[in-house]
Formats: sequence, C-alpha cells, structure tokens
Amino acid sequence: MMEVMFIDAKTKEEKIILDSGTVDYCKKYKVIAVYAAVQFASQLPTAVSQLAEAGIEVITSQPDRTSREFQILGCDTFHPGLRLARDPDAYLYVGDGLFHPRALALAQKDADRFREIIRYDPFAKQHFILDESDVRAILRSYKGNLMAFLAATNIGVIVTTKSGQQQFVPGKELAKRYPEKSVYYFAENTIDFSRLEDFPFIEVWVNTACPRIGYDDATERRIAMVNLNDAMQAKELLSSKNLLTKE
Amino acid sequence: MLVSPLIMPSYDLELEKAIACVKEKGYKTVLIQLPDGLKPRAKEIVDALRKETGAEVLVWLGACYGACDIPHGLSQLGVELLVQWGHNVFRKKSTGW
Repeated sequence: MMEVMFIDAKTKEEKIILDSGTVDYCKKYKVIAVYAAVQFASQLPTAVSQLAEAGIEVITSQPDRTSREFQILGCDTFHPGLRLARDPDAYLYVGDGLFHPRALALAQKDADRFREIIRYDPFAKQHFILDESDVRAILRSYKGNLMAFLAATNIGVIVTTKSGQQQFVPGKELAKRYPEKSVYYFAENTIDFSRLEDFPFIEVWVNTACPRIGYDDATERRIAMVNLNDAMQAKELLSSKNLLTKE
Repeated sequence: MLVSPLIMPSYDLELEKAIACVKEKGYKTVLIQLPDGLKPRAKEIVDALRKETGAEVLVWLGACYGACDIPHGLSQLGVELLVQWGHNVFRKKSTGW
C-alpha cells in the first residue's frame, strides 16, 4: 500500500512579528480570532502576545479537519467545523494567500453581520482588509443559484473520486430530501466546468466536493451550482435574515 | 536565480524528512505533489531525492488543492511513497462539509 507523507513547508521565519500598523489597527476590536496557513501556524506565539499586550483578547481553535491549533482550511471555516467557542469581533489571518481569508468571509453567509478579516502578510509585513464588499457579488450570485435550485426539476449532483473530498453518501440524501426533483449523479476526479455543458438537461448542479467550487469557482463562471449542504437547507437559508439574503 | 524571492518566498522544504523516509523504507519509486506556489521548486526536490536515495521520482502534473486532494491510481506506476508539500494531515469527515 502506498504511503503518503505530508511536509508543511513552513516559512523559514522563526516567529511572526506583527508590524505596529497591524497591531494599532487590531485595537479597534476587543476579541479577535487568530488563524493561519499551516506554513505559519506554529510561529504565532509572538504575534498573539503582541495582541494581548495591546489589550485584545485572542481566541482560536483547532478546526475539525486540521492537524493543529491556529491552522485553517477552506472547508473548515463554517460553523461548527471552526469549533470556536464564541463569535469574535474580527478575524486575523496570517498568511500570504487569499484562499483561506476569503473562505472566512464566505463562511459568514449565514451570519447576522459581517466580521472583518484582517490579513497579515508576513512577507509584505503589512495587513490588508477583507470586508463584506469583497464577497458581496459572490453571495448575490449564490443566492440566485439557491433560488434556481428550489425552482429546478432536473438536478445534477457532482461527486468527486478524490478520496479526501468524496461525499457520495451524503450526496444521496439530496434525492430523499427533494423527492419531487429528478436527481442525477455524476462522477469526476477534478471538475472541468466545460464538461457540464455536455448535459444540457441539468438545470442546476449540486457540488459535493470542496465547497469553494460551489462558491467562488461556480459563481465567477456564472454556473448555476450550489453546495450540497446549502441545497439541503435552501428554503431555510433563503427565508432567514442573514448576509446571504441581505439586499 | 530564475524565480524572484518576492514571488517565491522562502519556505523550508525539509527535504531531509523525505530523504530519510525513502532511505529507511527502501522505496524505489516516489511521487512528489506540489501546490502551484511550490511547483517551480520541483527540480530542486527531484534532483535532491534522486541524488540522495537513487529512487525514481515522478512529479504530479495535476492539481494539488490540499491534503484532501491525493491522486489515486498511482500503484499502477509502482509508486510506493507520495510526498505532498504545503499541507498537513487532513481529517476527513464522512458526513459532508
């Protein structure tokens, strides 16, 4: 049997030290949840101390699918996967990419109000802000896709063969939840959006693989697609007061 | 240097870990999988693994979106060890996202 080995590829920086501008900016919040990409997750004690000395309460967690505290994954930003004991006033994400902080923003679609994400880039040594406006267009499109899903008859459920993302069993629940719809299941390894055009009878697609496929990837390509978890509770999501339904 | 340090920040590849594993287990065929940001360093990794272990080293050409994204079917190529950089052990939940 093939062995699989993971190497974090940690940054060579021994510790992350926030610049004064970032610490000053964070002072506008009382409680900040701190997370990082795995490359930086073990070098955070100094940054956490800096925030504490500035009078900020720092909270964090080890999300469900991760290997250590402070680490964040794109699929673990949703409640209850995040496993944060309570809501913060804002998030501080340490890393040089946008994938994870954007996930923290998108995961707030069910929330009553948006919590800002302060992204500290350890290489640029400065912070950048992600606010509600950065994901508003995606949420607007996604809301439309959910409405289209509820109205559609022919649904295509995409199941990946990637073992880490394969969710065929939960996917089969969709047909039980919506017996009035005709649900067809499609299998693929890496999803090629152009292949979806080969099945014109499908009105709306349901993604069971990485949830980011249903949020940013599909909405940016104007594809009618929703994620399984949201499809299962589409009526509830659309009838609640949250960021998704906010005008 | 072909890649600017501003584009390719300094990440520790910990090659010694992979080399030690290959030597200890006596693996003959290894596949490395890299996220896009580390793909330019594939040559460095392959050259080091080949030199230090004598193993045949393949590079995964496709995506590497995370620890959830492990290629399958590699046993057909005789791959005994897959080393993925940039991610950590993923604890899949079978109940969906």
